[in-house]
Amino acid sequence: MFRNKRRNGDVQVAIKDASLIDLRGVSKAYKTDAGEFTALDGVTLQIDQGEFVSIVGKSGSGKTTLINMLTGIDRPTGGEIHVAGTAVHHLNESDTATWRGKNLGVVFQFFQLLPTLTVLENVTLPMGLCNLYTRRERIERARHLLELVGIADEADKLPSRLSGGQQQRAAIARAMANDPPIIATDEPTGNLDSHAAEAVMQLFESLVDQGKTVLMVTHDPELAERAPRTITLANGELLNEYLVRALPTLPHDLLLDATRQIETSLFAPGELIIEHNAEPDKFYVITKGDVEVVLPTPDGKEVLLDSLGPGQFFGEIALLNGGLRTALVRASHAPVEVVALSKEVFLDVIHASKETLSELADIITLRTNRLALAGSSQ
Amino acid sequence: MTTEETNSSGPDPLLDLRRIVKVYHTPAGDRPALKDINLQVYPGEFVAVVGKSGAGKSTLINVITGIDRPDSGEIIIGGTPIHTLTEDQLARWRGKNLGVVFQFFQLLPNLNLLENISIAMDLCDTYPVRDHKKCALELLDQVGIAEHAYKIPSKISGGQQQRVAIARAMANDPPVIVADEPTGNLDERTAGEIFDLFESQVEQGRTLLVVTHDREIAARATRQVEITDGEIRGLGVGS
Repeated sequence: MFRNKRRNGDVQVAIKDASLIDLRGVSKAYKTDAGEFTALDGVTLQIDQGEFVSIVGKSGSGKTTLINMLTGIDRPTGGEIHVAGTAVHHLNESDTATWRGKNLGVVFQFFQLLPTLTVLENVTLPMGLCNLYTRRERIERARHLLELVGIADEADKLPSRLSGGQQQRAAIARAMANDPPIIATDEPTGNLDSHAAEAVMQLFESLVDQGKTVLMVTHDPELAERAPRTITLANGELLNEYLVRALPTLPHDLLLDATRQIETSLFAPGELIIEHNAEPDKFYVITKGDVEVVLPTPDGKEVLLDSLGPGQFFGEIALLNGGLRTALVRASHAPVEVVALSKEVFLDVIHASKETLSELADIITLRTNRLALAGSSQ
Repeated sequence: MTTEETNSSGPDPLLDLRRIVKVYHTPAGDRPALKDINLQVYPGEFVAVVGKSGAGKSTLINVITGIDRPDSGEIIIGGTPIHTLTEDQLARWRGKNLGVVFQFFQLLPNLNLLENISIAMDLCDTYPVRDHKKCALELLDQVGIAEHAYKIPSKISGGQQQRVAIARAMANDPPVIVADEPTGNLDERTAGEIFDLFESQVEQGRTLLVVTHDREIAARATRQVEITDGEIRGLGVGS
């Protein structure tokens, strides 16, 4: 399959329909005195151009290792990393440096501007590495980038004369120096007050609007929510993104347990997923497409109860309340992909978290009320 | 007025601080950080400025590098009155004339060691662009890190990172190198090795000014001066 990729108004180029970033079974193990330590374990992940992705997880979960893999700063001990068609895991050290310079802008928590250079010089600094611009163009481009981040007036000052927020904006301008498709950042607002942090986040959002792909490691859940997509790591493994969205209060170790035991299924448009009055056997979370939740009436008609999309779940009522399936669920007009947990796994996991159980009980109350209302109106 | 003068009959000083005053205005009142400082460093000298925390060491190094400005007085380095330059002019001047080494190395974490050196060359026209890589490798070799050229800073030790930072300070072959607590973040043995490197640079004709709180290591300089409460006094020639 082919599609058009457009960058910076350049001529449209047909490229193979692959994700910008494609990780396949990526692992990283370190040898320590206490034995081997696995920082990443079989991570498979695709990120498309123009996505804004936050990467979260507890300290030690592997999120910094993951971003270092994505950015070619660190090498995997297993698996493959493809970025914009380049097999990054195959590059030698010198080629990795060149590749990184052109493809990747990095923004750090502590800005990392060189204190003895002006803001403008800090921004032109990486341009010499890639030789994409002539010397004259470099200065023009740096001024333009500083304008974009709103600190053109500070161009000829030393970083120490700027506020923290201004320094971080200068660092973002520097990250953009060679016009890379990907911006990677680790806790970019960790050292800023809330006002300056907001300005920095808006800047990232505007870069995404311009087609850049932004990857942001953070421990701050509020910040992570600013990104339309969140990747969660636990123990060096990726948690299923949709399971995390469906059951946000479930602790990471339980989500990891559940992630390891999910089964993925595909359904054609209109195909039945759950039959009304059947024995319940699974809990479902939608990963692609939409489903219709329908109550068949005794006279052969149907009442549409709900329409659910990615990150939403179904099939929990009969599993938790007992009895048979209360409604039928089928794929809408497009193909549907779901991940499912068996009854046993689902009940084990859910009963280990009081908070999640009570959250599910609230949703079940809402849904059974809707069922009762639909049944009584017949 | 406090004065530290040596060699007054010899050549002109390479680094000449005249009557430097710097006062910080704080909510608790004015705090004089440098009180009428005079200091001359001559070509080929290795000078250590020692003093306790808060004595004025950092302010002194910051006015020499131009990161901070004195309220009054003159700073003449290699004949250039740098207190008259704008920040923009100063940054350009500094590239060729003054190498700076920081306590926390200040290497860019996403660039390999070779790149960390060559970016400093890109700012000045000391060497033709096509020679940057070769020159950077030579510098890394001089500081004993050539085998790690393609690693990123986090993959090498703190002592090795400081060696790279010293190589970067020499990127445009400046006559003077100033270092702000260059061993403050290193263990004793590694600190000794960094001073070995400084000594070899001085033997090659460079001029060095190092600010440190560590008197033991300062004793390896050819001359020590002490800064106390913003005032300077000589401690004579080191071992």
